Amino acid sequence: MVNEKELWSKRRSDYWSMAIKYLRLIGNSGFLFTIYLLFVFGSYYYGQFLDWLPASFPATLFFTALLTWLTTRGRVRTFVKQGDLFFLSPRERKMSSYFRAAVFYSWLMETLYVSVVFLILAPLFLDRISPSGALLLAVLLLVSGLKLWNLAAGFEEQRIQDKHSYFFHTLIRAGLNGVALYALFSLQPVWFIGILAAVFIGLYAGYYRRLAAAHSLKWERLMRIEENTVMTFYRIANSFTDVPALQSKVRKRGWLSPLFRLATYRQQHVYRYLFSRAFVRSNDYFGIYLRLTLLGLLFIYVVRIDWGRWFIVALFAYMTALQLETLKQHYATAKMVELYPAGEKTKLASHQFWLIVLGLFQGMIFGLFAFLSINVADGFLVFGLTLIIYGYHLLIRLPKRYRAS
Amino acid sequence: MCPRLPEGKTFQIIQSLLFNSLQIRYSRINGTCWQGQTQQFLQGVFKMEAMLTVEKLSGGYQRQRPVLHEISFSVNKHEIVGLIGLNGAGKSTTIKHILGLMEPHSGEVRIAGKTWSESGDAYRQSLAYIPEMPLLYEEMTLWEHLELTAMAYGLDENTFQTRAEELLKEFRMQKMKSWFPSHFSKGMRQKVMIMCAFLVQPDFYVADEPFVGLDPIGIKSFLDRMVEMKHQGCGILMSTHILATAEKYCDRFILLHEGRILLQGELSELREQAGMPGADLDEIYVQMTKEDDDGE
Repeated sequence: MVNEKELWSKRRSDYWSMAIKYLRLIGNSGFLFTIYLLFVFGSYYYGQFLDWLPASFPATLFFTALLTWLTTRGRVRTFVKQGDLFFLSPRERKMSSYFRAAVFYSWLMETLYVSVVFLILAPLFLDRISPSGALLLAVLLLVSGLKLWNLAAGFEEQRIQDKHSYFFHTLIRAGLNGVALYALFSLQPVWFIGILAAVFIGLYAGYYRRLAAAHSLKWERLMRIEENTVMTFYRIANSFTDVPALQSKVRKRGWLSPLFRLATYRQQHVYRYLFSRAFVRSNDYFGIYLRLTLLGLLFIYVVRIDWGRWFIVALFAYMTALQLETLKQHYATAKMVELYPAGEKTKLASHQFWLIVLGLFQGMIFGLFAFLSINVADGFLVFGLTLIIYGYHLLIRLPKRYRAS
Repeated sequence: MCPRLPEGKTFQIIQSLLFNSLQIRYSRINGTCWQGQTQQFLQGVFKMEAMLTVEKLSGGYQRQRPVLHEISFSVNKHEIVGLIGLNGAGKSTTIKHILGLMEPHSGEVRIAGKTWSESGDAYRQSLAYIPEMPLLYEEMTLWEHLELTAMAYGLDENTFQTRAEELLKEFRMQKMKSWFPSHFSKGMRQKVMIMCAFLVQPDFYVADEPFVGLDPIGIKSFLDRMVEMKHQGCGILMSTHILATAEKYCDRFILLHEGRILLQGELSELREQAGMPGADLDEIYVQMTKEDDDGE
C-alpha cells in the first residue's frame, strides 16, 4: 500500500533533484553576470527614479493592485503525474495528507516569491507608505498569511467542474484580496485587520470546506496546473541551456506569417520551412527574440555612457543569437525529417539564413532607435556592431556547433 | 500431371491485361501443383520484380543482442505483404531497418535493387512510411504537413495542390486544413500520416499498424487506396494485428516470432506449412505462437 506522506516526499525530492541540475547550469552560465550588471545599473537608476516619481503617485493603489495579482495567481503545486489519473484517483478520499503537504509546500514557495517582490519594492514602500521597517515586515507576514488562505481556498475551488463558475470564484477571490490588501497598505487599525482575518477564516471553514465535501478532485486540472508549473521552470531554464523535455504550447501568430514567404516551395527549403514555423509558433523562440530586442531598446534609451551602451548592444545581440542557436535542436528528435530524401545537408544553410534575416532586423531596430535617441553616428555604429556579432555567430560559431554534433 | 503454363512475351502481355483474373487462377494452380514455390514461380514466369528484398538480415540495437536473426523475405511489385507477429516479435525493428534508420549487423536490405548506403536519397525517395504512432510537427497545420512532405519529396507545386485537395476530400479532413495537431484526435493524426504517404506516391509503402484509431470510413479509404496503389505496381509491406483485415487484403504473409520468420507465403502455403488445412489466419497464428510456448 502506498503511503501518501512518503509518496509526497519522494515526488518533491525527485523534482528538486532534477531542478537542482538545471539551477546549477544556470548558476554556471554567464547569464548571472548579466543579472548582476542589471542589478548594478538598476540600483543606480532606482534612487533617481524614486526622486523623479511625483508625490501624487498612488503608491497604495499600486501596491494593492500588484499584490492582488500576486496573491490571487498561483495554484497549489501537487506534483501529480499522468498515471495518477488511473492509479491514485480511486484513493482520492484518503489522500488528504498528501494534498495538505502540497498546500504547505506551495505556500513556502509562493512566500519566497512574494518576499523577493517585497525586497525589490522595499525602497518604494519605505519612501511612500511608511518609513518603518518593522511595519514592512509585519505587512509581509500578513500578505504571506493571505497567500496561504488563497492557496487553500483555491485548491478547493479547483473541484468546480464548470469553467465559468470556476473563473467566477477566482474573480471573487481577487475582489476579496483587493479589499484586504487595500486595508493593509492604507494602514488600517489592527482591530480592522483582525476582523478581516476572522472573516476570511470563517469563509474558508464555512464555504470552501463544504466545496471539498461536495465535489471530487478534478485530476486533469491538477495535472494541467502541475504541467504549467514545470513548463514555466523549464522555459526559464531553457534560456540558459537546452531542456529536452520542453514541449510548450503552439501559438499561431498569424500576423507573422509574411515571414513564411521567405521559405518558398522548393526541395532545398525543407529546413527553411521547418525553422520558420518553429521560430514563429513554438517554444517561445519568437517571444524570447522579442523580449531581448525590447530590453535592448530600453537599455539603448536609458544608458547614457557610450561604451556601456555599445557593450549592452553587443551583449543583447549575442544573447539573442545564442537563443536562436537552439533552433538546431528543435527537429533533432523528429523522425519524419530523417526519412525525407532531402534535408540534412541544407540544415546549416537554412539555420544561417534565418540568423541573417533576424539579425538584420534586430540590427536595424537597434540602429534606428540609437539614431533617434542619440545621433546618426551612434545609429550606424550600433547597427554595425549587431551585424558583427551575428556575423561571428553564423559564420564561425554555428558551423562549429554543427560539426560537433 | 501438372498443366504446363504458357511462357514468353505473349503470356506476359495477357498477364498484364488480365492481372486480377490470372492471379486468382495461378493461386488455384499454386494450391495444387506449385506449393511452396510461389515466389520463384511469380518471379520466373510472370517476371515479377522485387520491390523490396531483405537478405539474411540480422540487426538490433546492440550487437551482442540481435533482435532479428537472419531473416529473408521480399515484397514484389503489385503485392501487399502482411508482416504479422506478437508484440516484441521484431516487426518494428524490421521496419526500422527497411527505412534505413538502423544499420544491419549483417545481411542487407534493398529497395528497387539499391541499399540505403549505396543510394541514400534515392532510396528514401522511393518509399513512404506510415508509422505506428503518428509523428507530427506540433507547430505545423495539417496543410503545412502536406506541403512540407510534398516539398521534401520534390513534387511540383501543381501536382501537390491537386493531390492534396483530393486526399483531404477523401479522408474528410477539408475542414481541418488549418488546424494544429493539438486539436486532432488519435485517428485524425493517423490520417495526416496516411495522407502524407499517399501524397508522395512512391513505389513502395511501409505501413506499421495503420488502422489504430481510424474510423471505419478512414479504414476503408486507406484500404481502397492501398489496393489502387497495388494495381498501379507498388509494393506494400503492412504490419498489423488485425488479422481478419490482413487475410482479406494481403497477398502474402510473413509470420515473425522472436526475431525469426516462422512461416511465410500465401495463406494456402501457411496452412500447408502449419499442417492446418482450412484454418484461417487467426487460428494459424495462435497455434504457431502457442506451440512455441509449450516448447520452452
